[in-house]
Amino acid sequence: MIRLKNVSKLYHPNIVGVDEVSLHIRPGEFVSIVGQSGTGKSTLAKLLFAEERPSRGKIEIGGWDITDIRDRDIPTLRRQIGVVFQDFKLLQKKTVYENIAFALQVAGVTPSRIRDVVPRVLSIVNLDEKLHRYPKQLSGGEQQRVAIARALVHSPKVLVADEPTGNLDTLNSREIVDLLSKINEFGTTIVLVTHDREIVNRLRKRVITLEDGKISSDVEEGRYKL
Amino acid sequence: MFVSSYRVTKFAAQNFWRNFWLSLITISMLLLTLLTVNTLLVMNVITERAIDLVEDRIEVSVYFQDYTEDTTITSAVAYLRSLAQVRDVQTISADEAYEQFLERHEGDEDILASLEELGENPFGPTLVIKAYSAEDFEIIIDALDNPQFADEIREKDFSNYEEVIDRIRETTDRVRGFGIALSAIFLFFAILIVFNTVRIGIFIHREEIGIMRLVGASNWFIKAPFLLEMIFLSLMSVGLAVGIMYPVLAIIEPRFNLYFGGQSVGLIQYFSENGLLIFGGQFLILVLITLFSTSLAMRKFLKV
Repeated sequence: MIRLKNVSKLYHPNIVGVDEVSLHIRPGEFVSIVGQSGTGKSTLAKLLFAEERPSRGKIEIGGWDITDIRDRDIPTLRRQIGVVFQDFKLLQKKTVYENIAFALQVAGVTPSRIRDVVPRVLSIVNLDEKLHRYPKQLSGGEQQRVAIARALVHSPKVLVADEPTGNLDTLNSREIVDLLSKINEFGTTIVLVTHDREIVNRLRKRVITLEDGKISSDVEEGRYKL
Repeated sequence: MFVSSYRVTKFAAQNFWRNFWLSLITISMLLLTLLTVNTLLVMNVITERAIDLVEDRIEVSVYFQDYTEDTTITSAVAYLRSLAQVRDVQTISADEAYEQFLERHEGDEDILASLEELGENPFGPTLVIKAYSAEDFEIIIDALDNPQFADEIREKDFSNYEEVIDRIRETTDRVRGFGIALSAIFLFFAILIVFNTVRIGIFIHREEIGIMRLVGASNWFIKAPFLLEMIFLSLMSVGLAVGIMYPVLAIIEPRFNLYFGGQSVGLIQYFSENGLLIFGGQFLILVLITLFSTSLAMRKFLKV
């Protein structure tokens, strides 16, 4: 599904994002990428949805070599990879429904399909009752669920979650991780970037640990070791 | 495609309304540029008309000796008419010249008394020659040095209209140069303002743009609203220019007609016949310029 071969990202000759990272994530896997701040976790996530280009190495997603992906092909990639961030990235002037519909509108999806898809993804994240609320009328956890719903509208094969619980309390964090697990059970590959020890330990899934941009450990059913 | 086009148009309209004052300033600058260019066009039409009128009035009067035979006059007329530069030759006989002189000086006792004293008609026949353009008079005057009638010619009277025309051209050229410089300045500011309108538009929509990129909106979908908005602003500017130009022409044309002795300057006619070409051309050029400026701003500030 996702294959990285000797991937390095240098922001400057002296500033290394990731260094010679090689890994393989199989379809349907749930992988947590952990590490302290500045170890290259987010850089690795950005490389997966082509927000950053690697300085060296090769990246393949679903057999597609995106190492030197052309600008005009990025939208196609982004429709196959859902992305969730710590700060939710919701439009404050749009309702829950509109925020999710927006993702479909900009991709040229027809209104009838939008009317069909939005309630479906909202029910997956248990927000079908709050579709007319604005983001500021929701809790942090609910906002993150809206963001996840939005990431699911294109039925992505991969969902990359970059610190999705970073702004949430323990209870909301658990809810989000449970939701990601549920999505994973439907067959979506999940790449979770986090430094939340409790979540990682609770998941009991594969854990890749980064240190100074390098993979220091890669353990099936691993635990947070730092 | 239809759905996307509708959404792009909607986003473009949102850009316009959310930055209403900036849109207004952009339109004002584009409009100022267009009005300056159109004023130059009006000036061009008026100049050409003025030159036509002046050229129409230019003539050379050739006064023959009072003893000149009619056959000489006839052959002089035939000779002049054979010249490509001559538009018309009018003959005034000695008697007609005498009558005209009397009419002109009616009431001037002294002059009439002097004429009476002479006892005979002192005037010879006169030829009034009209040319196609002011530059042709030099050739016509030279042609009259033909030995066949040179000795019979008493006087050649040619007012220096060429100088008048040169002066008209010189003045209008100077005003035109100033107008072109002014248009260039306005255009420069228009480009800068378009650039900044797009830049601010990108800044205001940075969140939406970021999310658009995130969820896989095509580059075209992100860029198109900005381009469309600028096309819309260009169209509005040209529309306003048309809306201002025609009423203004309707007001100023009668004044110019009066100045040109009741003859039509043909401003409205010119703008009616060439309106599509003039304003259509201006719209296309404006669109090209604004698109260039928009692309520049997007390349600098819109990372897609």
